[in-house]
Amino acid sequence: MGIRLYQEPHLENPILVASWPGIGNIGIIAVDTLRGMLEAEEFGEIEPWDFFYPKRAVIHKGVLEYLELPDNKFYFKVIQGKELIFFVGEEQPTEGDRVYAEGKKAYHMAKLVLDVAEKFKCRRIYTSGAAVALTHHTMKPRVWAVPNSERLIQEIRGYENTVLTSDIEGRGEQRNITGLNGLLLGVAKKRGFEAICLMGEIPVYLQGLPLSYPKASKSVLEVLTRSLKIEVNLDKLDELDQRAQRRIEEFYQQIPLAIRGQLDRLRHVVYDKPAGPGPITEEEKKKIMDDVEKFFKKRGQGG
Amino acid sequence: MSQGYPIKIYREPDLSQSSLVLGWSEDAGNLGRKVTDYLNRKLKGQEFAEIEPEDFFSLGGVTIEGNLAQFPESKFYACQELELVVFRSAPPGAEWYKFLNSILDVAEHHCQVKELYIIGAMITSGAHTSPRQLFTVVNSAEIKEALNQHDLVGDMDYQTPPGERPTLNSFLLWVAKGRNIPGVSLWVPIPFYLAAMEDPQAEKKVLSFLNKRLDLKIDFSDVDQEIREQNEQLARARSLFPEVDDYINRLESNLTLSEEENGELIKKIEEFVRESD
Repeated sequence: MGIRLYQEPHLENPILVASWPGIGNIGIIAVDTLRGMLEAEEFGEIEPWDFFYPKRAVIHKGVLEYLELPDNKFYFKVIQGKELIFFVGEEQPTEGDRVYAEGKKAYHMAKLVLDVAEKFKCRRIYTSGAAVALTHHTMKPRVWAVPNSERLIQEIRGYENTVLTSDIEGRGEQRNITGLNGLLLGVAKKRGFEAICLMGEIPVYLQGLPLSYPKASKSVLEVLTRSLKIEVNLDKLDELDQRAQRRIEEFYQQIPLAIRGQLDRLRHVVYDKPAGPGPITEEEKKKIMDDVEKFFKKRGQGG
Repeated sequence: MSQGYPIKIYREPDLSQSSLVLGWSEDAGNLGRKVTDYLNRKLKGQEFAEIEPEDFFSLGGVTIEGNLAQFPESKFYACQELELVVFRSAPPGAEWYKFLNSILDVAEHHCQVKELYIIGAMITSGAHTSPRQLFTVVNSAEIKEALNQHDLVGDMDYQTPPGERPTLNSFLLWVAKGRNIPGVSLWVPIPFYLAAMEDPQAEKKVLSFLNKRLDLKIDFSDVDQEIREQNEQLARARSLFPEVDDYINRLESNLTLSEEENGELIKKIEEFVRESD
């Protein structure tokens, strides 16, 4: 198993932007939307056979004509003086019943992505995912940024609508970045690449649903494109968000009134400064989390 | 043989142009297990190789079936005079591509396999009294042509629906195609109320095809006896339980049952068979 490059674009110190599906598909929507808008050109792939189970068979008149496996492709684009490589993985290579990649296969895939980064002398890597947060779906999601090097912290502090994990201490439930969007950051550190993971906030009550959350993808892309110093029109994500919001609102109305009342209070949470006290106390926050958890547990049991 | 593949060969079979018949030990009606057991028993298949389990199965303990501890097995048997290789295995839970290539490594490099036959069961809402058909999916137009003389349904159009995955049989057919091994996936319908039990009619459908295709010269009087016994048993269930008779009558008239009725029919038949045995 390995990398197949169809062509070797001439690039000098490009930036790699990589993502796989995860909670709310926030990272993958952000990265794949940018790739599509920039019309980046496909130039290679990671061969899927040893990582994945097939996703589609096509049988025509009794003959198996095609068996499709998840794509893991590399694209490149030179735009506004910036050289970009995109890696878009259609699935995370899982083992057993795990939802997100971990273990040998995940590590191997991260290494293969970084082999390409090394081959083209990438100077920086961005990954993207979701940050599960006590926020409301009507609020603009913030972006949590996790760098793999001390020297990136100052740069991140200059990003708009972005927080470092030290700024959200006690607020978020998230203390790790699961799956490949996180693992790549660590493997990049091991191999000497500077890397940042940008995670769009998703409300805690939406994290287990099979719904995309493009609103957070837009927040991620706003930060990413400013960091890359490229200008793109993100209106496409607004259309996706409008469709998603209708489904989210339908789901929201099914939450029992008592819990919804608690969640409604999150509509008014405004974090005016990164580490400042919010209008919801720690005790209230705990109660909301407990109520939400109980509701979903009951729902999961068919209650 | 590819380096690093977890294959254990006990003895080299003496085969020059063999056919491989493959069955999974966990499928509807226990079809894969029953057909491969039958072939091995009737044709005196000798175990000669196995695939080691650790890369492919969760080995966190053992399952218990019929009061016995079970452990995943992936074994090859050879019926040398008939140029037949039988492989039976639990379906792997991981590293599918490596597992399927391990099978084909043994087939290609130790057995000179020229054709591959994969046994598969599909659950149907039809009645056990309906005539069974044998559906095929192949991995090349040439083998489809070669099967024309057999009584098969081989013109299926199908695409994996969204949210579902292809079968392991399709995956194996595709990997075999990549190695230029002609392959046939055989699909026989099993009535839903027999899926957790055994279905000798389905077994016979597959075995009869293999018998003719591979010239195995098997006498099926024992399977015919099993079919008769099961038919009698199901007829008794119909006469004792009017609701069972009603459900099966409706299935025979191509009517569908509600989910609740399906569940009730399965329960009644399984209980009856368990108590009769």
